[in-house]
Order: sequence, then structure tokens, then C-alpha cells
Amino acid sequence: MRRTTSRPGEAGKTSGRGGRLHTVGNPRKSTTLTVMTSLFTLYCLLPLVWLAINATKSQADFVSSFGLAPGREFALWDNIVEVFRYQDGIFSRWLLNTVLYVVVGATVSTFLAALGGYALAKLDFTGKRVFLLVVLGSISVPGIALAIPQFLLFAQLGMTDTPWAVLIPSFINPFGLYLMWVFTAEAVPTGLLEAAKIDGAGEFRTFLQIALPLLAPASVTVLLFSFVSIWNNYFLPLIMLKDPNWYPLTVGINQWNKLGSTAGNGALVQNLVITSSLLTIVPLIIAFLGLQRYWQSGLSLGAVKG
Amino acid sequence: MFIVPIVYAAYLSFFQDKLVGGNTFVGLANYGKLFQDTQFWDGVGRVVRFTLVQVPLMLILSMALALALDSLRLHGAKFLRVTIFLPYAVPAIVSTLMWGFLLGIKYGLFGSLNEALGTDFNPFAPDTTLISIGVVVTWAFTGFNMLIFYAALKAVPRELYEAAAIDGANELQIVRAIKLPALRGSLVVTVIFSIIGTFQMFNEPQILPSMVANSGVTTFYTPNLYAYNLAFTGSQQGYAATLALVMAAITVAVAYAVQIRGLRNASDH
Amino acid sequence: MRLSQKARLLAGVLVPMLALTACSGGSGSATGGGGDEQVKVTVWSWDGTVERAVPGFQAANPNIKVEVVNAGSSQDEYKALDNAIQAGSGVPDLVMFEYFAVPYFAVPGKLADLGEFGVDKLKQDYVPAAWSDVTVNGKVYALPSDYGPSAMFYNVTTLKKAGIEEPPATWDEYYEAAKKIRALGDDYYIAQDTGDIFFLLSLIWQAGGRPFKVDGNKVHIDFTDAGTAKAVAFWQKMLDEGLINTKITGWSDDWNRALNDGTLATQTMGGWLTSTLPERAPKAAGDFRVALMPQWQQGDKVGAANGGSSFGIPAAAEHKQAAFKFLEYFTHGGGLSSRVDAGAFVPNVSVLENKAFQTKTNTYFGDQKVGAVLAEASEIVGSGWQYSPFFEWARSIYGDLASPFYTTGKGSLAEILEQWRQRCIQYGNEQGFQVD
Repeated sequence: MRRTTSRPGEAGKTSGRGGRLHTVGNPRKSTTLTVMTSLFTLYCLLPLVWLAINATKSQADFVSSFGLAPGREFALWDNIVEVFRYQDGIFSRWLLNTVLYVVVGATVSTFLAALGGYALAKLDFTGKRVFLLVVLGSISVPGIALAIPQFLLFAQLGMTDTPWAVLIPSFINPFGLYLMWVFTAEAVPTGLLEAAKIDGAGEFRTFLQIALPLLAPASVTVLLFSFVSIWNNYFLPLIMLKDPNWYPLTVGINQWNKLGSTAGNGALVQNLVITSSLLTIVPLIIAFLGLQRYWQSGLSLGAVKG
Repeated sequence: MFIVPIVYAAYLSFFQDKLVGGNTFVGLANYGKLFQDTQFWDGVGRVVRFTLVQVPLMLILSMALALALDSLRLHGAKFLRVTIFLPYAVPAIVSTLMWGFLLGIKYGLFGSLNEALGTDFNPFAPDTTLISIGVVVTWAFTGFNMLIFYAALKAVPRELYEAAAIDGANELQIVRAIKLPALRGSLVVTVIFSIIGTFQMFNEPQILPSMVANSGVTTFYTPNLYAYNLAFTGSQQGYAATLALVMAAITVAVAYAVQIRGLRNASDH
Repeated sequence: MRLSQKARLLAGVLVPMLALTACSGGSGSATGGGGDEQVKVTVWSWDGTVERAVPGFQAANPNIKVEVVNAGSSQDEYKALDNAIQAGSGVPDLVMFEYFAVPYFAVPGKLADLGEFGVDKLKQDYVPAAWSDVTVNGKVYALPSDYGPSAMFYNVTTLKKAGIEEPPATWDEYYEAAKKIRALGDDYYIAQDTGDIFFLLSLIWQAGGRPFKVDGNKVHIDFTDAGTAKAVAFWQKMLDEGLINTKITGWSDDWNRALNDGTLATQTMGGWLTSTLPERAPKAAGDFRVALMPQWQQGDKVGAANGGSSFGIPAAAEHKQAAFKFLEYFTHGGGLSSRVDAGAFVPNVSVLENKAFQTKTNTYFGDQKVGAVLAEASEIVGSGWQYSPFFEWARSIYGDLASPFYTTGKGSLAEILEQWRQRCIQYGNEQGFQVD
């Protein structure tokens, strides 16, 4: 095993000493490249800017002003207060539900993914190829169509309309499993595992004590991906849950939106739909920014190469 | 959890659920019907076209952005990276909603553009809706794919570049000789996931029709949307299950082919 | 004063956390809610006014607890109900249905026949067309809860701008008015249509067409009778001459904005638009008025319905007796007035003919006595209209067929309807009906 430059940033730091020296590790900044990349970030930001602007409008302003222009009054605070008060403050409940689904779902699914990925990468067992096919297959099966049999199965167990109906399917994360498999193959030296086994450690103990710590950075990455996918999950809870008290944010927000966009006399609360959408995204953005460091470590994982 | 719903779907695919008369065993009739169902193949054709155009464009874009970031030549690289990745954090419901408003021909951005330019371009006409969906999907997933590429590039030992530079290689040569080959593995991953994602397309075409008039989005616009409508509006669960299984088989076959090819090529190097 | 009352009511309906209901022995309630056994009735509704009736009902029936759940609007809710019925668990006791969805659930036996609760004695309180909407093959499966008598909402300011002093009273006048409004400029149209099947059916309905005939499992579909042909030809002419905006779809953001800036001069729609229009077009306050639908013949008075809903009890519901008690309470009895106060438009004769209802002015509509117009519109709705039992499916695919015509102008409404008929026949027969 060869240990290479490791932690990113370090290379830049060392070769950047003196500040003027431009090397491969610290090349001259390119304005052209920056401008081109920035153009793309404009595309990324535009809808978010739209959302932020429109969250500050009252319903009356929203229907009567141009999307990227501010409204006549700044109603962001009123909107936020109303979001939390509308329908007896059910939004807080949805927020808590989402947090519950995300925390439990992401933790369990990441652990299972690490376990499965480890097994796929480092263990030989009969039916491994079939297992792999099943993993790949289950990523490919249109989740929405499978939702029907899934729903019927849960109904038979009497578990629809409970948090379990959302949690249990989210424990299974074929995508995370796939990533963990790739990461394990690269980051966990087989020699180390064999050494542990020679020392008498069992299969599961080897996983827990040797492999899992090495996989920690990758786990953070998978955890983040699970976090996002569960936070954004819409279809499964839509089918499984009928009691609004168990809704996650996505289903709840869409229900508010539907009130106004279905023919009939439902309440038109686009301002609340938009403000609540913004409030839904904010925690994720904070998580992304706050977990920068972990992203880095998760990504630099590949720097360890056998 | 992987297997049970699939087996159950297989079981359902042998039955026809009638509004009057209940469930009847129909053998393979659902499969026969599906293979002759022009609506189903229309949807399959659409996602295949989408895959052939949008996926390469998006992945090239992602790759270019990853290379730009990895070149360490960007001002504010950290900010740019996070910004490009941000859309991935937005639920499909919210993103479709936002883009629907933004692209709206009367009052959205395109409405204003058309007014300013005196044009009459409609991003949600039957011919252009798929492109607009492509814009939304690209928006949502470019950052995600970029990160996967970026991670792969980060894994390349920096000394390799230094050694190449000492040998007199310029930046483009380094990209071609070292960086692009290093992306091969992640390319397989991103291709597979993009194909799978596209074949399952659902949220965007499901939400759009309520926002814009006659966008050309039919109840069978994508196979997944068709399955959903069959099962939940037409109460044809058995037929929907058949569709889901066949679609899954097609997707698995394609993904597996990419995988095998990708792995073989990767091991050649 | 009104606010505090509202707050109190809302507080009273605060839905408690889902507790596993210990409703031991569902038959306990069948004896008419006697005994002290606590029964919980679950109601699926996306009509917000239903909750208003809960506190009063619970006060009068201490052993019945009512929980109102929004299980989605329209299609979403029907899907959920179908799922619950199929799964055999989580079936609610009382469910909201748009009128066209009643046969879909009633014909395959998914709804309880309300005859056993003596529902017939309530008949005289409803306008005849609404009662016929909830009657399938001679049996009553739901009670009407709100109504959509078709009416014409028109923007006086826009009409004046186009030199039109009186709202069009006949469809011929409507056609002439459309041309004048179109002459105002690019964005001005008399109305929009992007393939709204409910609007087209209301035209057909008013013209005397009865395209669906249901008898047991037999369904007859025909879009060629005289009334249908007249309505279809008229609307075809409107579309062909470019008098209708085919770019803005109803209920979309664009639509809200067009109503706001007055570029859509009229909306021929269900009376329920009254309560949502002020929200959608706040800037047009004072501009809109309501009139009866334009007539096919000068001097006629025939109407049609567009939308509206009812509540029925699933055959698989656990607490049918208690559910009916609440149903009667909020659609007919003591709970009705609280819903009307909250903006519900109901087809109850007792409400429609009420003096206060008829004379109440509406500021948004320029102090017009809207109630009187809509009451009349309700009473003149043509009788004998039926929907096919699989109408829910049929309407979902109508857009697939109509969209090419509305975007390219190729084909015609009559051709679309014929294609639609063919698809319905195929589907209906596959589903075990006898359709021709």
C-alpha cells in the first residue's frame, strides 16, 4: 500500500508558499474558466432566487407581480408565521415527521449499506452474483409501480398510515449499497481484514472494528445522499399515508398546492406553498454548507489507494 | 424488501382486476397486450430519446465542471461547487413548480422574453416540453454527477500531475492522459444511474400538466406515468404490474450491459 | 367577532394525534348510537367547510367522535379510497365524491345504499338535478354537499371596454361579444379552453344532449344526438374563429393572472367559483358579476351543472349508522348553516329559497345579490343527466385525445368525442360493463 499526498488542501498549501509560485498544485487562477463556470451557477441559482423573491410576496402580490420583481409589500415574515399557523400549525408536525424519517431512515440505511457493500466487496459467498443482480435490479425497478404491491403488502400487515410504512422501505438503499461497495473495494485493504481474521476476529467483528472506521468518510457521503433522498421522498409517503399528521413536508406542501390548482373552491395559498418550499430547502442547504468538511473527507477517500 | 414486492407484482401480472366481476386469472394475456400497446412503446421511445440526448449532454457538462473545479484554476471554487450541487437538494415537487412558473409563457420568464423580443416561443408546446423537462432534470442532477466525477479526480495522486508536468506535458495533455481515464469508473456509475433515473421519470411530467396548457404530456408520456395512471385511475393493477416488471427488465438489461461493458473496459486499463 | 368564533371552532377541531382506535365491535353503533360506547367516524374531505359542522355535532352526540381528514383532492382521494378498499383496511366511514365519481363507486358495490337509513324523506330538500346526481340505478348512494350550477361570471369593465353593455343572454350574443372582445387586442379573449371536458359537457347538458345512458351494468354512449351536436358545433365555431384563448389552462397560475388583469372577460363555470374568485383575482374586485348561462334560445331558461360534490358511505365502512348521522347533520340538519356561512354553496332548497341568502349582497361582485342568481341557476339545471361509471378514467384520458386538436387545430371536437367514445367502449367492456 502506498500512501499518497492525502488530505486535499495540504498540497496547495505547501506548493503555494510564497504565494506567487504557480505550480501544478497551485496553478494561476483563470478568469475565463471562472466566468464560464459562473454562468452555469446562474442557471443553478435562478430558480432558487425566484423562490426566495416570491416567498416575500403576499398572495395578492404573487398573482399580480412579475416573478423576478419584488412585491409591493415585504411579506416574508407574515408568510412564515402563516405557514406555521395554517391548518392548526400542521407544518411543524410535517417538519418533525420529516426529521424523524430522515434521521432514522438515513442512519439505518447507511449502516445496512455499509454492511452490504462490505459483504459484496470483501466476502465470497454463494449467490454473490445473483445478489448483485438483485441490487442492480432493485435500483432499476420503477419504484412507483412497485409502490402498489408494496402498499398492499403493508396494508396486509396493518402498517399503512403509520411511520413504519415510510421508514421500512427507506432502510433499503440500493444506491448507497452500490457506493459503499465501490468505496469498500478501494478503501479497505484486504490484507488488513485477513490479518484481523488471523487474529481470531469474527466476520461481523472484523466489519465493525476494522472496516467500519475505514468506511467512516464514505459513510458520511452515503448518509448525506440518504438524507437528501428521504427528505425529498414524495411518492411513497403519498401512497402509504392518509393521515396528514404523519405526512412529510413534500406531501404536505403538494397538498397545499393542489388545494388551489384543482378545480373547485379549495383555498388558494400559493404564498404558503412557496414559503414552505423555501423553508423545506433551507435545512438541506444548511446541511450541505455545514457538512462541507465531511464532504471533503468523504471525497478524499479515494486518495487512499492500494 | 427487494424481492417481495417484485414477486407480488409478478403474481398480480397474471390477473385482471375488473370493476365489475372482480379479479380473474388471465395467464399471460397482460404481457401479450403490453407488447402490442402502442401507448407503452410511445413512452419507452420517449425516455430512450431523452436518454440519448439529455444524459450525454448532462454528463459532459458535469465532467467539464468537475475538471474545471479540479484544475484549481477557479476563483471561489468552493462557492461554485456548493452552488452547482445545491439543486440536488430541492425536492422534485418544488423544482417542477419553480420551473413551471419560471418558464411560463404568459407571465413567466419566457413570457417576458417573448414580449421583449417579439417572439412566440413556447417552452411547453408538445414539441418543446421534453426539452424543458430536460432543462429541469439537467438543473437538478448536473451537480450530483459533477460531485461523483470530482470525487474520482480527487482520488488521483497529485504527484502524477507533477511528474507529467516535469515531463513537459501541458494541461490538456494531462487531462487527456491522466484525468479522463481516471473518470472511467465513475462514468459507468453515472451513466447507469442516469439511465435508471430517466427510465423512471415521473414527477416532472406528472406535475407539469396542471401548470401549463396542452404541453403534450399524455397519461402515457413515460412508462412510469402510464403505470401509475393504469393502476390508480384505470384500476388496472394487474396490467400496471406487468408494465412495471417489463420496464424493470428492460432497465436492468440496459444497466447490466453498461456495467459489463464498463467494467471490462476498466479492467483493460 | 367573526374571527374569534372562527378561532374557537378551529380549536375545537384540532385533530388529535392518530391513536389506534379501540373500536371494539363495529356493530355497536348500528343500534343508532345508543349506549355509551364511543364511536369514531373518519371523514375524508377536501371541502374545508365540513369541519365547521363538527363541534356542533359532537356536542349533540357525545358518544360519536368525528375526525375530518384531507386524504387528497379529487383523483388522489379516489385512488386512496380504492387502495383502502382493496387492502381491506383504513376504509373511512364517510367520503367526499364529485358527482361524476358516485357511479364509479356505486355500480361495483363499493358504496352503501343509503335507502336503509330512510334517506328518501330528505329528497324534497334538494334541487332535483342534484338529487339525480347521487341516484344510481334508482338507489341513493350519497347526499349532495355542494353544488355547481353553471353560471356566467363576467368582467363588466372588460365588456364595457369592448362596447358591450349587457352580458350576453344567448350563445349567439356570446359569439358576437366574443368578436368584439377579441378586437380589443392580443391578450383579450371572452374565455379560455384548453380541452376542459366539464365545460364542454355543461354546454351539451344545457343543449339537451344526454351522451351517457346507464342502466345497471349497461352503458350507452352517444355523442351524435341533436343537443350534443348543436353544442359541439357551436364551440367548434368559437375555437375555429380564434375567439377562445387556448394557451391558458384553468386553475393555473397564468389563469389566475389573466383573471386579475381582466383579459379573460367571462368564465362559464360552476357557481362555486364565487368563493374562490376573490382569492384568485383580488385586483379585479368589483369588476365581476354573475349571470345565468347564456341560453340556446332567446327566452329559454335551462341550465346545467359543472362540478359539485357529495358524501357517501363506503360499503366497507365500520360505523355506517354514526356516519349517516353526521352526514345528515352537515348536509341537511343543524350543521348546514355553519357551512353556508363559511362559503359552501349547497343545493338545499331550504337554503336557496331563504330570504337572507337571496338578498345578501357581495362586495366583490359589486354588491350584486349573487345568491339569488345562483339559486335560480340551480333550480333550472336540466334533468336526466348521467355519467358513465368509469367517467373518472374517461376524463383522465380525454386530455390525451383533445391535446393535439387544441395545439395544432387539426381535427375537430366531434372527431375527438368519437375517439373518446371508442376508447370508453373498449375500456368499459374490459372492465366488465356492457358498453356500446
